[in-house]
Amino acid sequence: MSAMVAARAAILKKLGAGTGVSGGAAPSELIPRDYIRRGSLDPDARVAKMIERLREYDAEVTECTPDGLAAEIAAQLARSGRKTFVVPSRLPPEWLAAGYNWKIDGDLATEEVESCDGVLTGCFCGVADSGTIVLHHSAAQGRRLISLLPDWHLCVLRASQIVETLPEYFDRCIQIPALVTWISGPSATADIEMTRIKGVHGPRFLNVIVVKEQGPGTRD
Amino acid sequence: MSHGQQPILDPVLAPPFPQAALPMLRDSQLRKNVAHATDVIQAKRARLVAEKPDWQALRSAAARIKDEALENLGAYLEQFEEQCTARGGVVHWAADAAEARAIILGILREENASEVIKIKTMTSAEIQLNPHLDAAGVKVFETDLAEIILQLGELEPSHIVAPALHVNRSQVREIFARTMGLSDLTDDPHALTAAARHYLRRKFLEVPTAISGANFLIAETGAVAIVESEGNGRMCLTLPRTLITLAGIEKVVPRYSDLEVMLQVLARSATGERMNPYTSLWTGVTPGDGPTRFHVVLLDNGRSAIRLSERERQTLRCIRCGACMNACPVYRQTGGHAYGSIYPGPIGAILTPQLTGLKHAQSLPFASSLCGVCYEVCPVKINIPEILIDLRAQVTDQERGKAARFFDPMYLGMRVANLLFSRAWLFHAAQWKARIVLRIFTRKDGWIHSLPGIGAKWTQTRDLRGLPKQPFHSWWKQRKQASR
Repeated sequence: MSAMVAARAAILKKLGAGTGVSGGAAPSELIPRDYIRRGSLDPDARVAKMIERLREYDAEVTECTPDGLAAEIAAQLARSGRKTFVVPSRLPPEWLAAGYNWKIDGDLATEEVESCDGVLTGCFCGVADSGTIVLHHSAAQGRRLISLLPDWHLCVLRASQIVETLPEYFDRCIQIPALVTWISGPSATADIEMTRIKGVHGPRFLNVIVVKEQGPGTRD
Repeated sequence: MSHGQQPILDPVLAPPFPQAALPMLRDSQLRKNVAHATDVIQAKRARLVAEKPDWQALRSAAARIKDEALENLGAYLEQFEEQCTARGGVVHWAADAAEARAIILGILREENASEVIKIKTMTSAEIQLNPHLDAAGVKVFETDLAEIILQLGELEPSHIVAPALHVNRSQVREIFARTMGLSDLTDDPHALTAAARHYLRRKFLEVPTAISGANFLIAETGAVAIVESEGNGRMCLTLPRTLITLAGIEKVVPRYSDLEVMLQVLARSATGERMNPYTSLWTGVTPGDGPTRFHVVLLDNGRSAIRLSERERQTLRCIRCGACMNACPVYRQTGGHAYGSIYPGPIGAILTPQLTGLKHAQSLPFASSLCGVCYEVCPVKINIPEILIDLRAQVTDQERGKAARFFDPMYLGMRVANLLFSRAWLFHAAQWKARIVLRIFTRKDGWIHSLPGIGAKWTQTRDLRGLPKQPFHSWWKQRKQASR
């Protein structure tokens, strides 16, 4: 232990700890931020870009209206041919279509999650520019392992949750989250001759339902 | 690969670059594999960079964010430690590789760990962690597909992002079929990937201890972020009871929102994707979600010394994307093993010698044509050519005092040249003599293909243009006389 305390002191001494950061002007103001922070697309084009970018990285995307969401979820479940699904503790009950085994997570054992055929979650945000879905692992998005172990991930993304640029996502983080997973398409590798293979250890299938706003031009 | 001998990736033991590069240059399969892989990544990167109108602004911001962190590194590390500790993490400090290995082994002993799963981490390769753990009786399972290929095939990494890019599909098939006992495995990448998934699934679910590296440490919150593609990282970060993260001290960035820049430049530069499939961020320990014990080992191992010079400090901005090696005309010919370090390519050529305090790998700063493409593609704007030149000067200064240098044929030649170039009449006389002597070696095509003795050092790897019948200054004189 004392060796480590010595290492800490030695490293910090070499780095001249304490210089600059504390007390001085906010250093973040020194960063040139003339990169694109805000998107320029109208809401429909933003949603269209999100869908296009999701598809480009092998995610399957369908669209529906808020009223049609429960039916669309049921249709996706039926089409998947899967039976047992894990869900986070706080999903709207109408999402859990009848006729399937629903395992409500809280503290399910790892093996129990592993035995599920799929997972259904909400999300915090979608970033159109890169086709990225962001999970903060709240009660509607679930613990990290439930969107990891099952082979099929169905994710509900509302149009109001879609931002165009990555900086716009960071602007939406009023509170800095403790856990985040940025998901861009299903698990993949290109380690063998740079051939992109979909599905290694994470879910091999990522399906996204984009819920469009009711009226035209409705903003969040 | 085909030459049974393993490359040495330890800068202390590795031969100088020109010597190490020779067997690589003769291995046509390896060169084909490297050329194919780097071509593919470069094309994808170029397309995605072109679609970003603000690419140069992002590079400038990324460079400045890293600079800000490096200028105030001690303070940001202390802030990271404080925040991470407050959220239930345990922060350790290691001055060198031996200390880091001892800390990690100590934690594994406390955990009674006989097995450990690992996410690809270059820093752990830098401190040669795997052989150390093996020797201590802890079985290490690499989980990144490329790392599995290397571990099972007992091969060495040749690239920092795609460490097995020098291995092709039939070579992977051979390794997997032999070590996993799958005799009817085909060389279809889908089948090979599925074999890896099956091979590791139980390990992910059962091994309670994991080791990871880090892409970013967030000083503001004490969080750690890791980018990956396959989900093996998420497995290691989520399922085990205990997680140990090894991170170089230069990985820290000031704020959470700095990721809005770093994540935009990293994946585009590394794999030519808008975003890599998975990026994970966690903060200390979260009750009910993920490991209940979390350790971070902050590693110096030569970094704090690199920071002292303002020019060389740029080296520590590196976010390990590998774009410089994909673009480098030298790396693309030799592959990674010639660099004698786990950090190959242009960044390796400046990082490796500096990490050893310039005591080893002194040939690496010379392993470059200084064409500048590495600087151009670098997402954090490291002026690699500038640092290469400065390190060359430092290496030369180092040698200046050596007695052996006095008799070294190269330096002897330099001194003679120095004398000749300083007096016009001596220069002309030498030129006249050289023309007579070199004529013997000049072939009909006007080129010299081989020279004896010390001259062979040049003609071994390149041809030399024969001296012209008439030197420029005599032609000039003649011309002036004629026009008079």
